[in-house]
Amino acid sequence: MDNYTNDNTARRYIAHVSIFGTTQIHLRNPYIIAWWSAAFPGFGHLLLSKYIRGFVLFIWEVIVNLNANINLGIIYSFQGDIEKVIQVLDTRWLLLYMPVYLFAIWDSYRTTVDMNKVFILADRENHRFNTFSIGALEINYLDKRNPLLAVVWSLCVPGLGQLYIHRIGVAFYVIIWTIIFFYFSHILEAIPFLFLGEIDKATSLVKPEWLLFLPSVYGFSLFDSYMNTVENNKLFEKEQRDFLQKNYQHSKFTLLKGKKVK
Amino acid sequence: MQLYATFESNIFLELALSQLEQKGIHKENIFAVPLDNRTEKRRVFDSIHRADGISLIDIGVALATAFSVVGISIGFKLAWGPIFWGLISAFTGFALGFAIKLFIVFFVEKRKRVLIGKHSEVILIIDCEETQSELVEEILWNHFALGVAKIK
Repeated sequence: MDNYTNDNTARRYIAHVSIFGTTQIHLRNPYIIAWWSAAFPGFGHLLLSKYIRGFVLFIWEVIVNLNANINLGIIYSFQGDIEKVIQVLDTRWLLLYMPVYLFAIWDSYRTTVDMNKVFILADRENHRFNTFSIGALEINYLDKRNPLLAVVWSLCVPGLGQLYIHRIGVAFYVIIWTIIFFYFSHILEAIPFLFLGEIDKATSLVKPEWLLFLPSVYGFSLFDSYMNTVENNKLFEKEQRDFLQKNYQHSKFTLLKGKKVK
Repeated sequence: MQLYATFESNIFLELALSQLEQKGIHKENIFAVPLDNRTEKRRVFDSIHRADGISLIDIGVALATAFSVVGISIGFKLAWGPIFWGLISAFTGFALGFAIKLFIVFFVEKRKRVLIGKHSEVILIIDCEETQSELVEEILWNHFALGVAKIK
């Protein structure tokens, strides 16, 4: 059940509130979006709420990266061991990597620039949209939440910040992949040894090619949950202002020219 | 008698409105004025390169991720291992990015700086009988009005 049945009469809409989450078009910085695509193909598109291509590019990155040993290549490159880089990269997969990697960056940049123009038009058109949705399995509505709390939850486990602001699709996707990366990188097994001071033992336990996925997942989850909390709050305020102007500005209302009393 | 009150834009404002209506104040006797914040005029060419509201941490998180990939890689060869170096470099990256952004906001874009729309406020004017004024005032304060004044 929604509080507004969309009749598809607007040329452009700025938001869609469904039981799966609040999807919004808002102004984004194309360079920042392109950067997240470079950090991990797919993340740029997830930030744009283009989930299907985001999910597909993400899976593509994991498969091709691990088979071509890109992450190991990155590690040896930063260590300055070029011999080892050449040795470890699998040329059967390697050349597959570059075109799609660059496509993800370029496409997310281009889409951001386009969607910023769409936002300006949709914002001026200011067509009504659904703001409340209740169903058998979930409830979602426009609301104000705390961006800092979203960041804190994402720091605990990537994806929880998204769950806090009801971005169900990304939340579960990120949580599941976090579990996969935690498990295969053996990082949680290494942490007790760090507390015991046995750093060499901890280092030998972790699998570097899996560990290297984690910084991007954490960074993305922090940024995505923070940005969307801020934007959801702005959407709430905008919608409330429209509501007040529509309902509480009666033409017969007259001001009383009296004196202030206690 | 009229009561003036200012509110922040949040759900308590709507709770106050619905309670006032429940207590017999008609919609026509409530006047709401959402205030505009000071904002920069929107320009197509500038605004596509800026996402307002997210500005302070964007470079920080981006650099944290980049630095920590480098930190982890080199960390495998260093005494403290990849996890500590990954975390250290992530914090360094974030601090650096945050500092860069603060510098940009406070020095480079100083003249363009505007109030960010965080505390958008609403003025409410309620027209009621003098006998109701106590009740109305209480409802307004109970729902976190920032200020209330009575005019007679």
